[in-house]
Amino acid sequence: MLTSHADGVITMKLTRVLQKTALATALMGTALGASAQEYHIGVTVPAAEHGWTAGLSWWAQQATEELTEKHPDVSFTVLSANSGTAQVANVEDLMIRDLDALVILPYNPATLQSVISEAYEEGIYTVVVDRELETPAQNVFIAGDNPGLGEQAARYIAEELGGEGNLLVLEGPPIPINSQRVDAFNQVMENYPDINILASQNTDWNAQQALSVTEDLLGSNPEVDAIWAGDDDVLIAAIQAIEENNRDDIQLVVGGGGSQRVIEMIRSDHPIVKGTVTYPPSMIASAIALAVHGVKGERLGDMYHGVPSRMILAADLITADNVEEYYEPDAAY
Amino acid sequence: MNPLPQRTTPLAQRFRRLPWNAAILAPLAALILLFVVSSFASEYFLNTRNLSNVLRQVSYTGIIAIGMTFVIIAGGIDLSVGSMVALVGVAVLYVLNTITDPLQAVILAMLAAVVGGALLGLFNGLLVTRGRIAAFVVTLATMSIFRSLALYFTDAAEVTTRNPLFSEVGGGFVLGIPIPVWTFFLLAIVSHVLLFHTAFGRHVCAVGANAQVARYSGIRVERVVLSAFLIAGVCVGLSAIMLTSRLNSVSPSDAGYFYELDAIAAVVIGGTALSGGRGTVWGTVIGALILGIINNMLNLTGVSPYLQGLVKGAVILLAVLLQYKRTP
Amino acid sequence: MAEPLLRLEGVGKSFGPVTVLEDINLDIAQGEVLGILGENGAGKSTLLKIISGIYTPSAGRIHIGGSAFDALDPISARRLGVAMIPQEFNLVATLKVYENVFLGQELRRSSFLDHARMREQTRALLESLDVHLDPNQTIERLSVAQKQMVEVARVLVNDARIVILDEPTTVLTSHETAVLFRVVKALVDKGVTVLFISHKLREVKALCDRLLILRDGRQVEHCAVASMNEEDMARKMVGRELAQIFPDKPTDGAPRGTPALAVRGLCVEGVLHDIDFDVHRGEILGLAGLVGAGRTEIAETIMGLRRKSAGDLLIDGEPVTFKSPRDAHARGLAYLSEDRQGKGLQLSFNVMQNVTDLSLARYVRGLIRHGLERKRAEEYQSRLSIKAAHLAAPVGLLSGGNQQKVYFAKLLDIEPDILLLDEPTRGIDISAKQQIYRLIRELTAQGKAVVVISSELEEIIGLADRALVIRQGRVAATLEGDDINEERIMLYAAGAWEADTERRADNARSQGARP
Repeated sequence: MLTSHADGVITMKLTRVLQKTALATALMGTALGASAQEYHIGVTVPAAEHGWTAGLSWWAQQATEELTEKHPDVSFTVLSANSGTAQVANVEDLMIRDLDALVILPYNPATLQSVISEAYEEGIYTVVVDRELETPAQNVFIAGDNPGLGEQAARYIAEELGGEGNLLVLEGPPIPINSQRVDAFNQVMENYPDINILASQNTDWNAQQALSVTEDLLGSNPEVDAIWAGDDDVLIAAIQAIEENNRDDIQLVVGGGGSQRVIEMIRSDHPIVKGTVTYPPSMIASAIALAVHGVKGERLGDMYHGVPSRMILAADLITADNVEEYYEPDAAY
Repeated sequence: MNPLPQRTTPLAQRFRRLPWNAAILAPLAALILLFVVSSFASEYFLNTRNLSNVLRQVSYTGIIAIGMTFVIIAGGIDLSVGSMVALVGVAVLYVLNTITDPLQAVILAMLAAVVGGALLGLFNGLLVTRGRIAAFVVTLATMSIFRSLALYFTDAAEVTTRNPLFSEVGGGFVLGIPIPVWTFFLLAIVSHVLLFHTAFGRHVCAVGANAQVARYSGIRVERVVLSAFLIAGVCVGLSAIMLTSRLNSVSPSDAGYFYELDAIAAVVIGGTALSGGRGTVWGTVIGALILGIINNMLNLTGVSPYLQGLVKGAVILLAVLLQYKRTP
Repeated sequence: MAEPLLRLEGVGKSFGPVTVLEDINLDIAQGEVLGILGENGAGKSTLLKIISGIYTPSAGRIHIGGSAFDALDPISARRLGVAMIPQEFNLVATLKVYENVFLGQELRRSSFLDHARMREQTRALLESLDVHLDPNQTIERLSVAQKQMVEVARVLVNDARIVILDEPTTVLTSHETAVLFRVVKALVDKGVTVLFISHKLREVKALCDRLLILRDGRQVEHCAVASMNEEDMARKMVGRELAQIFPDKPTDGAPRGTPALAVRGLCVEGVLHDIDFDVHRGEILGLAGLVGAGRTEIAETIMGLRRKSAGDLLIDGEPVTFKSPRDAHARGLAYLSEDRQGKGLQLSFNVMQNVTDLSLARYVRGLIRHGLERKRAEEYQSRLSIKAAHLAAPVGLLSGGNQQKVYFAKLLDIEPDILLLDEPTRGIDISAKQQIYRLIRELTAQGKAVVVISSELEEIIGLADRALVIRQGRVAATLEGDDINEERIMLYAAGAWEADTERRADNARSQGARP
């Protein structure tokens, strides 16, 4: 059963690679007969080197496919970059191709500031996702709620622990997004003097790093009641460390992001993984949709205004109570 | 006494330039082929703005690859260049943001970049020559050290500047050509002369080809190796100026990320032997251009982001295969 | 005569339009030693490669042990018992002797290596060759001669019936050569057939039963060794009357006055002890001795390549200190290393670049003047008759003799007054040797001082006006005139005589009789 499923996945992937190769060859051969379309939207995201960014790429592909069907007058180019400077080149190259709108999740905002400003000043409809620029240069900014993610997790953990217990925090790299999450978390925890944060350490939001950090922390802290991982990939690594160390003192592990693997754990009533907070990579899909409507000058649904200039997606707590709403088995994250 | 040699002389003259050209011919052919394919593959490719973009994108790693050429020909390798870009970049931004007079700040920052790069290169070189540690190991370690220092000084945060003049350096144009591109090509010419037309260049080749023979010939092997690393450091300094001023900022975690691999790839595609001893600056320039055009074409044609690495790797292999075909 | 083990019938080889080997016919019986003589480029290596299956002949047939073949491949050649010991050994430097001997055909005991048995068999094999070598030694710590013995042992493990030795004595001293000859005799006693390739006529004469002489890809002689003397062999090889190989020594007596180079009390910790000698302009001083006696070290210390612990150098009576070869070059000293490929020439550089390697500064006026480099290289090409397809080709593609000439050109281009020549004719053919001997004599005639280090006794005897014998880092004797002969050099070199016994003939005779 399991193997046949795996086989299926591999075959699917292979067919996709072949299709893509054929597509690429076709593109190179025919010099793109697509200029008949009225609007060209360029999308650039960080390369899929992490669960969340993989989800990002998946949702970007998904959204462009669906939106191309719905809006035949719009064409898309999706690029990814493994560094900020590579993404600068992505934007430069996109701008060459008569771009009408740019959707970008900046690898790092300061590095991309000048090139996004150039695009925006050239009149390209610009949607910046997730990471805010220091000097705004966009039509729309859309992001998840980072402080909300920390806050929701903190409230839930405090409640479940009954206001007392020992806690480990697995942080991300020292970037603004992480500090927003952790600061909000700590602010809530200040109200619970009996909850003891034993350690708060950087895992780079990287599964391997998280595994070794958790092992070290478990080794040095014999009494732990709960763990908060600011990211779901990190949560899965932490669970592995807990199982390998046979630690039964831990009652609760809460994540962040809302990956399908964690959602499935919550859904199947995992003994300690009981909750996570959404920070959906599907925000890129919404961003692309916003760009489509924005560049056409359309309104969203029944709104009386055009596309808003700033949107924050809610951070929702997922527990066994509401897990079915978030269950989407096909998604990459 | 011996009439034979007089007959061989005109023959020798006829073949005079042959081996030199063969070394550069394969990458050049690959570049031309790639250029032609690209102009058919995308209607935007020949767009002047696109070409100027490509050249600018190439110049950052291209400048570093020129420095890398010296190190590799001398029989070494420098894996630390990418991290060095970040560390030098941080220094540049620090100088810019400390000095109030904008013009003075820009001049001093640029000076700091070149001197800083030179010092870091010297540090690598000293460890290799005096410390007698393999270049691969030394620069593997300093790659980690330089990146770490850059993160430490900035708390891993990106640094920006409000200096109004700075972005003119890397973002500016002279005669319609971006300044980084000028820097790249002028550096290439100077480096070519240095490598091919001076005793120092000959010594770099000699040391890389066989250090023992060089030592027996009275060449100061250590000094030559040290100079090669110094040159690589100065090139990194120049690249850091161009990159940080183009972006008007530096990200310590991101600046120069994987530049060492792009630089090495450019050098190798350009026909320089990784084992040292021979190579050309023009080859490296062509190698850098090949890599840049591939990236650009993949972006222009919108090839799936997942497959871009495959195409890039395949082109590198192809370019190198073409070269080694000529020597059985 | 018994059925020949190996027979070639009209074998030839062409590469495209170029014929490198034509109509070779020979037969060798089991247990015979066949000497193959020929200058470089005469087709010796092509012939060997055909016999060992690397090349496919374009004509003729090969018979081995009664079966006929149009062509062999390396694997079937090995299966038929053909084994080659190349000049560059194929040993893994980091592995031990027995591991190398059994490399690729390791003995196993239930899928694990049987080290004990391999060690034991290696020991037995080496002993059967009368070689004393610890099977547990690591290859990189062995001398060249010992490595050769390992190669021989390895060949025997393969049950070789025909062993090809490709110029095996080039890198050996006379003493080591004697050991090798003993081993070859032991092989022959085991019924092995040996093909022995050499430049050294005397060795062929001493060791071989039969002889094949090649010239320009053709077989010019195939006969019993006994029927020819060395001069005949040389004449057949070169195809013209060889004038005397060594030029005449000047008869006007050794030059005197201030020596061009004087070495006083030179010591290197644990290597050289109190070395004293003078070289005068117009003189060739020979340094004889066994490999490892310290001769190369003397030259390298003079050049500043090694740190001396005591002693002085004087050039034209003036004390000098050299920290590197650079300083030595500046004072008119040039050194030709015995290791032409490892220390002498940049093999990937072309002729021009090698010629100007030491003298590059003379060609720089702001930038290197490539035209002048070429001109100078062309001058040397005609003066030393260097045969090169074109000057821009890598030196590594030239033959050994031509490489050596380029190396000489490299030294000559700094116009040195004093030349230290370490094994100046190693691995080159007889006519190139002769040219180099003449060149060396020309140099002294021009008033240069020359030191020749050589392990070939003939060379010291034929060339040197005076000779030092070096033994264990000391000057064992200084010989002049007719005293420079084989017997004396060997006796001093091997330590049978001490320097202070030289004058006392009786004493010397009684001690010299023992070995």
